[in-house]
Amino acid sequence: MMYATHLNSKIKMSFLQFIQWLNDTHWSTALREGDNAFPIVESFHILALGFSVGTIMLVDLRLMGLSFRRVRASDLIRQFEPWAMGGFSVMLLSGLLLFFAEPLKAYTTIAFRIKILLLILAGLNVWLFHKGIYRRVAQWDDAAVVPWQAKLTGYSSLILWLGIIVCGRWTTYF
Amino acid sequence: MHLLNFLPATFFRWCQHTWIARYQADSLWAFAIIETVHILGLTVLLGTLLAMDLRLLGLSMRRYSTVQVAKELTPLTLGALGVMVLTGIPMFMYQAIRYSTSTPFFIKMVFLLSAISLHFTIHRKAILRDVNEDTRLGKVSACLSLMCWLGVAFAGRAIAFVQ
Repeated sequence: MMYATHLNSKIKMSFLQFIQWLNDTHWSTALREGDNAFPIVESFHILALGFSVGTIMLVDLRLMGLSFRRVRASDLIRQFEPWAMGGFSVMLLSGLLLFFAEPLKAYTTIAFRIKILLLILAGLNVWLFHKGIYRRVAQWDDAAVVPWQAKLTGYSSLILWLGIIVCGRWTTYF
Repeated sequence: MHLLNFLPATFFRWCQHTWIARYQADSLWAFAIIETVHILGLTVLLGTLLAMDLRLLGLSMRRYSTVQVAKELTPLTLGALGVMVLTGIPMFMYQAIRYSTSTPFFIKMVFLLSAISLHFTIHRKAILRDVNEDTRLGKVSACLSLMCWLGVAFAGRAIAFVQ
């Protein structure tokens, strides 16, 4: 038992050391203290929200049965998928750069840790959807009221993304 | 070019002394919460605008008419716009004096007025006209719309970094 916790704290120590090392690199410092790089990257990160979460939200509303009820669910998903993918790529790239600019601050900020956890859950939500109820989409494509698994996916997705955006904003404050 | 060219300084001073401005100055959370809701509204607004303009450009949802798509999206767009204005006004009041001399803020307002005007005029006309087939009006108004709204967003971001 004691060996396990000792090993655990050793792993944690070395990860923190890695973060510290990352923080001290020339690139990280340049991004952090430069005049324009950080604001520009941050702007892309915030504005790509519309392209990524904004379009996903429309799919969620369809799954929740609140909007686009006469549109085929698979249609909506297929139509917005490329734009959502593009948007999320920008989010990921800009997000990585932002993390790289302030790795120590991000790592030690509770809001950021929660954000990462929620991001993982959001990804899991999508994966489960595609592996499960979406396989049978032909059965419920035209229905205004979709099966409960799809509805749950919609609600979970919306709530998770809400949480992610809130945590993202509050990373600056904690 | 900034708002101070058009409005007296006393107006901005008055704004910053309103109840809502003082409340945010005294509170730890108020501004953060208002700004967060502003960002959430931004996500919804940009998402619905993008979806509508993609349809007008003929790039998505082609099986459904522009009017059908607009019918679904408009309540969301207007709701999100309402949220933006309702959170934007307190945010403005809180730092009115600073915004009075801010060039990016002025540019943002110009873009915003343009975007809203376009939205209720040629954008609306294009949606109604394009029911049966895509026209150039639809494509032009979609492009103008996207440019104006992205202008609002980028200028808004620049406020914090450029004076």
